[in-house]
Amino acid sequence: MSVAKPLTHDAARLHVTGAARYVDDIPTPTGTLNLAFGTSSVAHGEVTGCDLAEVRAAPGVVAVLTADDLPFANDVSPSIHDEPLLAKSVVHYVGQPIFCVVADTHLAARKAARLAKIDYAEHPALLTIDEALAADSRFEDGPRIYEKGDAEAALAAAPRLVEGSIEIGGQEHFYLEGQAALALPQEGGDMLVHSSTQHPTEIQHKVAEALGVPMHAVRVETRRMGGGFGGKESQGNALAVACAVAARATGRPCKMRYDRDDDMEITGKRHDFRIAYRAGVDEDGRIIGIVFEHFCRCGWSQDLSLPVADRAMLHADNAYHLPSAKIISHRLRTNTQSATAFRGFGGPQGMLGIERVMDHIAHDLGCDPLQVRRLNFYRAPEERPGGIAPPGPPAGYLETGKIEKGADLASRGVTEAVAQTPAPVVPSGAQTTPYHMPVEDFILHDMVATLEESADYAARRERVRAWNAENPILKKGIALTPVKFGISFTLTHLNQAGALVHVYQDGSIHMNHGGTEMGQGLFQKVAQVAAASFGVDLDAVKITATDTGKVPNTSATAASSGSDLNGMAVKAACDTIRNRMAAHLADLHQTEPRKVHFEGGKVFVGDEEYTFAEATAQAYAGRVSLSATGFYKTPKVQWDRIAGRGRPFFYFAYGAAVTEVVIDRLTGENRILRTDILHDCGASLNPALDIGQIEGGYVQGAGWLTTEELVWNAKGRLTTHAPSTYKIPACSDRPRIFNVTLWDGANREETIYRSKAVGEPPFMLGISALMALSDAVAACGDGSVYPALDAPATAERVLWAVRRQEAGA
Amino acid sequence: MYAFELERPKTLDAAKAALAGDEAQALGGGQTLIPTLKARLASPAKLVSLAAVEGMSGVKAEGDQLVIGGATTHAIVAAEAALTYPGLADLASHIGDPAVRNRGTIGGSLANNDPSACYPAAVLASGATIVTDRRQIAADAFFDGMFTTVLDEGEIITEVRFPVPQAGAYAKFVQPASRFALTGVFVARFSEGVRVAVTGASEEGVFRWTEAETALSGNFAPEAVDGLSVSPDGMIGDLHGTPAYRANLVKVMTKRAVAAAS
Amino acid sequence: MSNVTMKVNGKPVSGDVEGRTLLVDFLRGPLGLTGTHVGCDTSQCGACVVHVNGEAVKACAMFALEAEGAEVRTIEGMAEADGSLGTIQAAFQEHHGLQCGFCTPGMVMSAAALLKDNPKPSEAEIREYLEGNICRCTGYHNIVKAILAASGQDVPAIAAE
Repeated sequence: MSVAKPLTHDAARLHVTGAARYVDDIPTPTGTLNLAFGTSSVAHGEVTGCDLAEVRAAPGVVAVLTADDLPFANDVSPSIHDEPLLAKSVVHYVGQPIFCVVADTHLAARKAARLAKIDYAEHPALLTIDEALAADSRFEDGPRIYEKGDAEAALAAAPRLVEGSIEIGGQEHFYLEGQAALALPQEGGDMLVHSSTQHPTEIQHKVAEALGVPMHAVRVETRRMGGGFGGKESQGNALAVACAVAARATGRPCKMRYDRDDDMEITGKRHDFRIAYRAGVDEDGRIIGIVFEHFCRCGWSQDLSLPVADRAMLHADNAYHLPSAKIISHRLRTNTQSATAFRGFGGPQGMLGIERVMDHIAHDLGCDPLQVRRLNFYRAPEERPGGIAPPGPPAGYLETGKIEKGADLASRGVTEAVAQTPAPVVPSGAQTTPYHMPVEDFILHDMVATLEESADYAARRERVRAWNAENPILKKGIALTPVKFGISFTLTHLNQAGALVHVYQDGSIHMNHGGTEMGQGLFQKVAQVAAASFGVDLDAVKITATDTGKVPNTSATAASSGSDLNGMAVKAACDTIRNRMAAHLADLHQTEPRKVHFEGGKVFVGDEEYTFAEATAQAYAGRVSLSATGFYKTPKVQWDRIAGRGRPFFYFAYGAAVTEVVIDRLTGENRILRTDILHDCGASLNPALDIGQIEGGYVQGAGWLTTEELVWNAKGRLTTHAPSTYKIPACSDRPRIFNVTLWDGANREETIYRSKAVGEPPFMLGISALMALSDAVAACGDGSVYPALDAPATAERVLWAVRRQEAGA
Repeated sequence: MYAFELERPKTLDAAKAALAGDEAQALGGGQTLIPTLKARLASPAKLVSLAAVEGMSGVKAEGDQLVIGGATTHAIVAAEAALTYPGLADLASHIGDPAVRNRGTIGGSLANNDPSACYPAAVLASGATIVTDRRQIAADAFFDGMFTTVLDEGEIITEVRFPVPQAGAYAKFVQPASRFALTGVFVARFSEGVRVAVTGASEEGVFRWTEAETALSGNFAPEAVDGLSVSPDGMIGDLHGTPAYRANLVKVMTKRAVAAAS
Repeated sequence: MSNVTMKVNGKPVSGDVEGRTLLVDFLRGPLGLTGTHVGCDTSQCGACVVHVNGEAVKACAMFALEAEGAEVRTIEGMAEADGSLGTIQAAFQEHHGLQCGFCTPGMVMSAAALLKDNPKPSEAEIREYLEGNICRCTGYHNIVKAILAASGQDVPAIAAE
């Protein structure tokens, strides 16, 4: 069978020969125009004068569009219509598009965009968390609060109190392929859009609104992206809409790609957070009650910030049972890029908060943080992991939830009015999360024990101690951190997917689904599912570009859900066709359909055997439909995001990592020496692709917390807007020793071949790098001062933390 | 990028003639200049590539000096100076990345005098002489603050003459994103004394740390600078590091360079 | 406009370019060789690495006119004459040295330049050589493996295989 095999990426051959096409590589018709935005140079202000005469007169310029030139919706927001494509009068951040140049060439458009003379009446700009708090500048009315038990009472009664705060920086996606779109006008006012997007349906929706046409008049195609990481869930809207509007206005194809600087200055990034904590613990380090306060810098527009901040709250527990907890979340509006989806979607920030608490408790107690972590783990379920979960009640969400009129239905940014969701039934013995969901599949006890042994944790901790005793300059640190990540869109209705499968008369198979390919190998995994359904070789299955004309109403390829959702939908479509073929062949041979088997490229009917192509031809001649759609919706999920109560996740994905680092106490330089990872992909659909996700996710996560520092100047301009100033991990930054192993166990929930989602969870394994640095810094002192390392822990930040240790000692 | 002509003269005379006009600018390997032009911070009417000028590339020993042609790439210096001046070759072999080293040139780097570039530290610490199409300039007189040198308009660096020290080494704290020096220190020990040049740290560009020179001339060992302190005043403070951090690095990198040289 | 002539992947080509036309734009535009990618425009990311007279250079940091008379090789010229994959290309495929693929052409070109000078590089040498090639997807582990394999050296088995 084609599933569970470590097959290479489906497009690997195209990539290594340079033949794989990205949007900017698609051959365009003669006369194609290129676009560039003219952007705001102030962080907040009113445009008092906008002289575009020189822009219009510049060589190669065909048209210049402003907000006044947009015939229909001037909106590229994925949530509450607060994000115009082109600013109307008020600008809200440095880099906000104000006008759009349409010119013969990319260079001509960019050059002309710089010739504008714009006058502003500047308003005070809110750039930081503190400034936004002081001005009470926020989304939603006040802070969102999730509560379980009486945390304040528990704190008051606790023998020990651990409190502190951590600053967590944002992160630039730095997908290697910048944002890009190409719009080609079709007959009758229709529009074809090629977009580098994780969410073709959202592009289709926004383009249709901007052109004043029904969605059926817009077709969006996405073959692949050169990386996405969440940065292409909503941030591609502006380019696609601009291209479509310009194409409509000029009657010519229009293309737009952001240069790297523009991309970094215009588009949103990971939310930066401050997390303040007060934990009441017992003498062993067990948490009795905890209060978290999340301060989330959302930027100027709402975008996807509410569900991001929600997911941070939903991961405030990570792997730990919090008997009582209160999580307060402030969603702050600032005059900076509108922060957006980024791998983990708030989960990493929330999780880092509790991991920081674990580290802090252990430091206070003077014990190994692993001991404290383990002590606080959720209880293991009584049944064995991998056991089959009972079916849940049918999801009643859509029946109870009401969608606002005019809402952006397919976007995670939509907010729903939610009917009261009953508290989930808690099986006896199960512990619950702070949002009252029972944790029934907790496998970290076994996983951590296994990793501890394979990584030789205890002996290495001793060696680190011995090393630090002997070496005055270079100090080592080690940490093991776990991950428990919730899988499902927290906007429940997005947990659906469609597929379209055709079997042609020669036995070749055309497969299409709503997921997009950004490098993660989704297309290959889903093709493996299709090949397995028909019992054919993978090369019988044609992988095709995501296309809103083939599968409608798709959700973003996001929330790690790609193969869970689309794999099931494709399987449903394939099974439909296979069952029709089986019924027909059974009829021909006067046997039962269940006695028809599809295997090894053959179809066995009783004693007869056909090649798959012969069987297909038989079915075609017998007038059997060889085309089918497939549909899937995730069962069991149902929750109330306002109250913070219910089951937002179908299941959890788990992992754990041990990282060892060394720092130079004279400079703060630091290196990852060794990383060992044990990660849970359920019964992996493709171990090679999954391991690739884990390795890449870890390095990206460690980069977020160590070298990747975003800096804005006092005027709100992002000064790290190129790879020459913003440090992405390079080849020499990867761990010297890097061992990645998959946990051997099936998903207890009924997912596609019992696999688990893998896109986001491994990112948070990178937290172990920050905790190892904290350990190394602590080794420079006498134990009296907690390192309280903020993120990213750049060399300079590590040095000053070391100096605090030295001063405290 | 603004429109401009690009010329590729084959001889020094032709290059001089090409650079004589207004707003003409010499182009070395372009590894700094081209990104700068793309960011539209510079807009010459004409670029004169020196890559094809005969006799301007290569490394040769002349007496006790190492002579490097102005258009010699970092990769060539890294390979060909390795035996005669290993400290210099090592510096060249850590500039940028391999593709940058295949294009970038010593003349281009010196003429640009980026405050974080590596070569100025070697030139200043070695007491090298910059030879142009019209004169010879001592290193101590060549650098004139960030991005500024005493070169005249159109003046071409034809070669750089390095006295080879008894011991010399460079220690660089890499600004991790650009791979330029956040702070880099070149230490060169000659029979008449030690010279120490610091790049990346000061708002004045590359400079000699004379207190360290005195201390190291007495005792060429890392601990010789232990008693010295570096003031953060006048150090660069930017998104990559504070003045205090750079001041700290000056001392640490000096010690590392001395350790590597001895 | 000036005329420029060079050999690209063994074939003589010429075209009219401006002084400011970058080599990468000449390759991707008039020549249609879109396998050479532009990832950063600031000569940092290495997605545009090609060979000019046998040496790796960043095609976004070189003018087309500077390649006058040069032999240029791009990713499209890396396969064998019969169309089968070259050793390095095959190793990147087999060892999963790619995900989104955008950095892959530059990685393959850099790897080829490395192996030309250093046929059996150590892991550390590979890491250092790839300093100017950014990959955002893979974490580099499989890229290093692929290059080790392409140089005929032992590669630690992938854990799950």
